Amino acid sequence: MRFLMTWMAVGLCFCVSFVLLAGEPSRATGKNVAVAVDISASAQAIDQLIAAELKKQGQAPRGQINDYTFCRRIYLDAIGRIPTIIELEGFVSNKNPDKRSLLIEKLLHSKGYNSHWYNYWADLLRVKDVGDKLHHSGNFSEWIKGAVRSNKPYDEMAHELISASGELYKPGNGVTGFYARETMPLDHLANSVKTFMGMSIECAQCHDHPYEDWTQQDFYKLAAFTSKTHLRVDPLPQDEKKIYAKDRHVLKNRDFNEWIVYRESIRVKHAAIYGNGTGFMRLPHDYEYEDGEPHQVMEADVLFGNMPKVNYEMTKAKLASLPKNHLGPEIDARSSMATWMTSPDNPMFTKATVNRLWHAVMGTELVGQLGGLTVEEMGDHPSLTEKLINVMKVLKYDTKLFLSVLFHSDTYQSKALVLNATPSGYVLDGPVVRRLPAEVIVDSFLSLKTETPDKYVATEFRWDGFTHFYEKSKNMTAKDFVEYSVKGPGRAQFQNREEREAMKRNGDMGPHELWRVSTFGRNYKENWVSMLMGKSNREVIDGAAREPDIPQILFLMNGLGIPGDALVNRKLSQAATRKDKMEILWKAILGRLPKKSEESIFGNAPDDVMWALINSNEFRFGR
Amino acid sequence: MERRDFIYRVGLAGASLPFLDATAASAQTARAKSVVYIFLSGGLSQYDSFNVEVDKPVLGKSNIIKSNADGVRVSNYYPKLAKQMDKILVLNSMKTDQGAHPAGIYKMLTNYNPRATVTHPELGAWVNKNLTSQQDSLPNFVNIGSGRAGTAGFFPGQWAALPVKDPDKGIDFVKRNKAVAEKAFRNRLDILSSLNADFQKNFGTKDTQSYVDTYAGSLRFMKSEDIDAFELQNENAAITNLYGKSKFSRSCLLAARLVERGVRFVKVNLGGWDYHDNIYGRMPANANALDSGLSSLLSHLGQKGLLDSTLVVVSTEFGRKPDVNPNAGRDHHPDGFTCLMAGAGVKAGQIYGTTTSDGKHADENVVDVTDFNASIAWRLGIDPNLEEKAASGRPFELANKGTVRKELFG
Repeated sequence: MRFLMTWMAVGLCFCVSFVLLAGEPSRATGKNVAVAVDISASAQAIDQLIAAELKKQGQAPRGQINDYTFCRRIYLDAIGRIPTIIELEGFVSNKNPDKRSLLIEKLLHSKGYNSHWYNYWADLLRVKDVGDKLHHSGNFSEWIKGAVRSNKPYDEMAHELISASGELYKPGNGVTGFYARETMPLDHLANSVKTFMGMSIECAQCHDHPYEDWTQQDFYKLAAFTSKTHLRVDPLPQDEKKIYAKDRHVLKNRDFNEWIVYRESIRVKHAAIYGNGTGFMRLPHDYEYEDGEPHQVMEADVLFGNMPKVNYEMTKAKLASLPKNHLGPEIDARSSMATWMTSPDNPMFTKATVNRLWHAVMGTELVGQLGGLTVEEMGDHPSLTEKLINVMKVLKYDTKLFLSVLFHSDTYQSKALVLNATPSGYVLDGPVVRRLPAEVIVDSFLSLKTETPDKYVATEFRWDGFTHFYEKSKNMTAKDFVEYSVKGPGRAQFQNREEREAMKRNGDMGPHELWRVSTFGRNYKENWVSMLMGKSNREVIDGAAREPDIPQILFLMNGLGIPGDALVNRKLSQAATRKDKMEILWKAILGRLPKKSEESIFGNAPDDVMWALINSNEFRFGR
Repeated sequence: MERRDFIYRVGLAGASLPFLDATAASAQTARAKSVVYIFLSGGLSQYDSFNVEVDKPVLGKSNIIKSNADGVRVSNYYPKLAKQMDKILVLNSMKTDQGAHPAGIYKMLTNYNPRATVTHPELGAWVNKNLTSQQDSLPNFVNIGSGRAGTAGFFPGQWAALPVKDPDKGIDFVKRNKAVAEKAFRNRLDILSSLNADFQKNFGTKDTQSYVDTYAGSLRFMKSEDIDAFELQNENAAITNLYGKSKFSRSCLLAARLVERGVRFVKVNLGGWDYHDNIYGRMPANANALDSGLSSLLSHLGQKGLLDSTLVVVSTEFGRKPDVNPNAGRDHHPDGFTCLMAGAGVKAGQIYGTTTSDGKHADENVVDVTDFNASIAWRLGIDPNLEEKAASGRPFELANKGTVRKELFG
């Protein structure tokens, strides 16, 4: 009920097409400054730039889409599933002239949005367990879900991810999962640069970049901001010695299983990201270029733009006089790097972000390759890129508002572009026909099954075995850990038991078959159908696939079933005539009315038609 | 499960498959046509299996038994293989630089250390990509059992392994849903064709075409006689009886059936070797599975005359320590472990390489895991220095600087 009122309020606000952003306290006056943003005006500005470019190229503008096409498209792009037949009919029959705008706002403030955009960010941030013991990703996943629910500005989100530290399983501190994702610090840095600035500099880790300007020394200077940051799963040496060592030794020589439970349970309490950057780094032992020596001290420096403030406590000369394993005292230089990386003045951060979101919504790259941008690159339509960068800055990195601008544009609401291998002419004037993401296909099956496909998307933090045990362990002494290891649930059961207790704590989460894909994951079994459809295994950034393969097609042909009591089947049983049944199938599955030419199919059994529609390209492609 | 599965002869939409003469395979060195790659995840204890040539205390509770090959002895947990060691080359000097399971498995199967910025293809994917020709009707990389899925890494997903989780269940959903009659199924396909043809007119792209092609290919596959290879119940009794009933034995039978039909690379997984405690209580059952399955496979391939053209290898991510820990288990040991090779002209009935007699280090003729894999590729006629570029343009060589050890072959 409450969330309904929220969107109504926003919707109303929207009718006058202004949105008030809660402004940050002005540094000069300390007063709150409200920023008025005109969504429609921004959308129109985009359309005008595109119209001008089309004119210049001598290309005709694309026609607008009807309500059926719009409804299907906005559900897919805003909340990651097709509309149910009820939602579709409700929208089409609505007479309100502002209904498109109202639907956009309703969806952007719905639970479906939280589910769909969690999937998106979780792929970019590669939410996944690491190693067999290094990191369990449940808390990280919950942090991202929380950030999407509260619509945390993206620059803040990125800053927190880059500079996170502290315990991995402390509820609310799941942001540390991003650093824990990599076991090697230099890999993590290369991935951070690719994630947030869309640039590929990993080559420079080991040698000067073959085709771009980055040298190995540039890479090490950037790495200097983060030096000494590391994931540690065991207690710090002083805690180990003082608290745990004695019992650990006894258990190790007495019972292997008890010793394992002792080690693993203590890790849940202590695993953490330590270190926050010293601002110094040393060149590698095999450094081979003439501009430096192996182990030479490097002072932190940025790749471009303004150097952020770093509060050094030691001089470079002093450090150089120390043995080569010294890197200087920790001074939170990592946070300085986060500030540089996410600043509106950074020429890559905002550009990479709008490039990414445009790609998610329109299917084309606004500027260039998501993970392979260059500093100079502005794309085929530089003034459009510039405008979108500006919109993002004015919106203070509120991605929901930014999406709202895109969705309100005529460009978005125009006929889809059929983009073949060699595009000719201007291609940024509309969304591209493309295969839907794996999670969207699977979640669209839900829209056929139930009136309420988003019902079981979480509205609050959910516990898993690790966060649950972390909380328990806060007051546990070494003696308690011994007791837990010796008399507790035992090696085979202890993780399972904590998971079970956590599940109980979460209350009723509904039946698995009615979950959105975003609810599956570490604590529950993986949603294997979405994996079959090409969901990213999150090994690398943007790892999802959209191609067919035989196991996927065999499943769609021979394995997928729509239950008898599914929404679409209930609707069918209420329909009087064959024609009515067919209309229901077309609306429910393809989101449109059948064409005249398709009436020849009407003579077939509804079950056969339903199978064919679900297996059709039109079902799994956005258009 | 990894994200991509397999594809062959279909869905390539314009991308053509090489004919064999155009591949990197060279007829001169191609002695093996197929590889059966048995992977023992967890870390096989070399001192309780095939390396007994060390000081007595290193062997723990294992006893030495003779084999049918002069100078080759094995532990008492492998009585069946002891009768077939004349077909096997034992490599006792294996070495890796990884001591944790995920990284060790990754290294053994891909030749590379795991990096967060790229994923590397498994050896099977290199083989699949380089030895698949238009004449082939079955995928050239099949992964049997649970374990690492057989990933294509930075290659297109079509080069990943076809997964077969349970050898007795075959390929998921390859049969028409029983509730749908043949006639109804054909009718459904007709409706689907008309819908897709219409969509193709207005919204057709190479991606939509690729789906149309892959449906066609999947249907061909469903009807293909070759999928009989996956139906173990169709094997004749004389052969089936060579094998035991365990899942691993049945997996080996499936591997042999695939090799018979020309599949290039079959990976068979047998996990569970990570015995940090009670190794002599827990290991014998697993050792028995390996002993039965592998000896049946060698007999079967031998009977069919396929052992000369099939390289059978057994590998593991690392070995186990020479000393038995206080929990009666053995911990991880990357420096001096044991792998096996058989068939395709390996120097069978011999031991290659040694560890120091205290079992602590690989000693003579050390074989890095990259050398091991380079030698397999070379035996298939693939140049181990073959280079492919990841999406970022970064080049990677198949064997990551591993060198071919020609002396393993006669």
